[in-house]
Amino acid sequence: MADLVSLKDVSKSYTAITGEVVEAIRGVSFDMHEREVLTLVGPSGCGKSTILRLIAGVEKPSSGSIERRAAEGKFVVGYIFQDSSLMRWRTVYGNIKLPMEILGKKGAEAKIPELVKLINLEGFEKAYPIELSGGMQRRVAVARALVHDPSVLLMDEPFTGVDEITKEILQTELNFVIRSLKMTGVLVTHDIEEAVYLGDRVLVLSAHPGRIVEEITVDLPEIREPVIKTEGRFTRYTKEIREKLNLLHPLRLSRRPTDAPA
Amino acid sequence: MQNKVVRNLRDQASVLGSLVVGVVVWQVIVDYGIIPSFLLPAPTEIVAAIFSSRVNWWANIFATLREAIAGFVLGTALGLLLAVAVTASGIVRKIVMPYIVAIQVLPMVAIAPIIYILVGFNDLSRIILTSLLSFFPVVVGTATGLADVDVNLVYLLKSLGASESLIFYKVRLPNSLPHLFVSLRIAITGATVGAIVAEFVSSNIGLGFLMTTALTSFNIDLTYAAGFILTVIGLLLYGLVEGVGRASMPWFRRR
Repeated sequence: MADLVSLKDVSKSYTAITGEVVEAIRGVSFDMHEREVLTLVGPSGCGKSTILRLIAGVEKPSSGSIERRAAEGKFVVGYIFQDSSLMRWRTVYGNIKLPMEILGKKGAEAKIPELVKLINLEGFEKAYPIELSGGMQRRVAVARALVHDPSVLLMDEPFTGVDEITKEILQTELNFVIRSLKMTGVLVTHDIEEAVYLGDRVLVLSAHPGRIVEEITVDLPEIREPVIKTEGRFTRYTKEIREKLNLLHPLRLSRRPTDAPA
Repeated sequence: MQNKVVRNLRDQASVLGSLVVGVVVWQVIVDYGIIPSFLLPAPTEIVAAIFSSRVNWWANIFATLREAIAGFVLGTALGLLLAVAVTASGIVRKIVMPYIVAIQVLPMVAIAPIIYILVGFNDLSRIILTSLLSFFPVVVGTATGLADVDVNLVYLLKSLGASESLIFYKVRLPNSLPHLFVSLRIAITGATVGAIVAEFVSSNIGLGFLMTTALTSFNIDLTYAAGFILTVIGLLLYGLVEGVGRASMPWFRRR
C-alpha cells in the first residue's frame, strides 16, 4: 500500500496571547498507509489536533516537512470535528452537500441519498441541526466528511461529549462505513478504547510538546463489533497504551485528598 | 401542530388581555381624578382627539415614516459596510471604531444643529440624523456575528481550498444573521426616535413637529394622540423587522 501522507521531523510552535512561544509538537514523523486507520492517542494539550490541522494544510509546520499524495486525482481531506460543527442555517442535505459546493463538483449530489441511507438518517434530509439529537448531528458530520470521496478522513475526537451508549453505536457505525468505503483515516482521541477499536495502528503521544513515544500495530479484524472490547487481545492493547501513558502507576498528586488511603 | 396553534393563540390572548387591563386601569385612574386629565388624558379622550382634530394625520404620519425608513435604510447600509470593514481589517477597526463610538455617545440634540448648518434645514438633514441612531447597533451587532464563527467551519472550508471571500459568503455572512436582526430591531426603534427628535429640532411637518406644536399650545390631548400614533408605528415597524427576520432564518425560529 502506498503512503498518502508522510510527516518528517515536524514541529509546530504558536505564539500565545502573552507573547510566550508555546511548542505544540516536536519532531513528529510518521507515514500513513493507504486504507489504514491511524489513531493518535495522548493526554490533553499534546498537539493531536495540531497534527490534523497540519495534515489538512490549514496550518504550516514551524519546521520539518509534510508530503501529501492522493491515490487518485487531487489530495483532499474529509474533516470531522469534536462538536459536529454543522452549519445551523443549513438542512441536513445542505450540510452534507457543502464540500461539493466548495470543490465545484457539480452533479455529484446524486451520491447524497446513498450516504444519508448509510448513516441511517433517511427522512431527516430537510431537518435543521437544531432539530437533531447529538448522535444524529455526528452522523451528518460523518456524511459531510465522506461525500466528496476524500483522500484521507481526519477525525478530531469525533465522539467527545456523546453518552457512552450512543458513542459505542457511533464508533461501530463509523468503523463499518470507513471499512466499507475502503477509506484512509486519522483519528485523534484521548479515549484509549476508541483508539484501539477504530485503529489499525496507534501512535502514542507524550504530554506537550507532543512527541511519538510508541507505535502499536492493532491486529484485529477490520469490521469490529463492541463485543471485541471484552476480549483479551483487545485489553492487552489498551493495557499497553496505558503503560506508555504512565497511567498504570500511582499518580503523583500535588495534594492528596485527606481521606485517601495511605 | 395543533398544540403550537393553541400555544400561539394563548400567547396572543395574554398580550391582548394585559393591554386591555392596562387601558381600563388608565381610564379609571383619570375618570376618578386620581391623575387630572390635563396632565394625563384618558384613552377615550386621546381617541376622540385623533378623530375630532383637523390635523392631516396621514400627511404627518407619511413624513415621519419617510424619514424613519430612509434613515434606517441609510444607517443599516452604512452599518453593514463598516461592520465588514472592521471585521476584515484590524487596522480599520482601530482607526474607525473610536469615531463610531464618539458619534454614538454624543447627544443627538447636540449633533443636530451641526448637521442642519452643514446640510441645510431639509429632509436630508433629518434622514442623516435618523441614520446616526440606526447605524451603531448594526455595526456592533453585525461585526460580532461576522467574527464570532465556529473556527472549525473555517478550518473545514480552508482544508477544501476555499478563499477568504468564499468563507465570508458561506460561513461568516449566514452566521451573522441572528446578530444582524437583533441589531435591526434596535435600529428601527432608534430610527423612529431619530425621526421624531429631528422633527423636534427643525421641521414643519411630521408627528414630532405635531407633538411640539401641540405641547406649546397646551393641547395635551393632541400631544398624546400624536404620541399614541407614533407608538403604533414603532410597534408595527418593529414587528415588520422581526417578521422578516423570522422568515429569513427558519433554522433560528425552530430553536
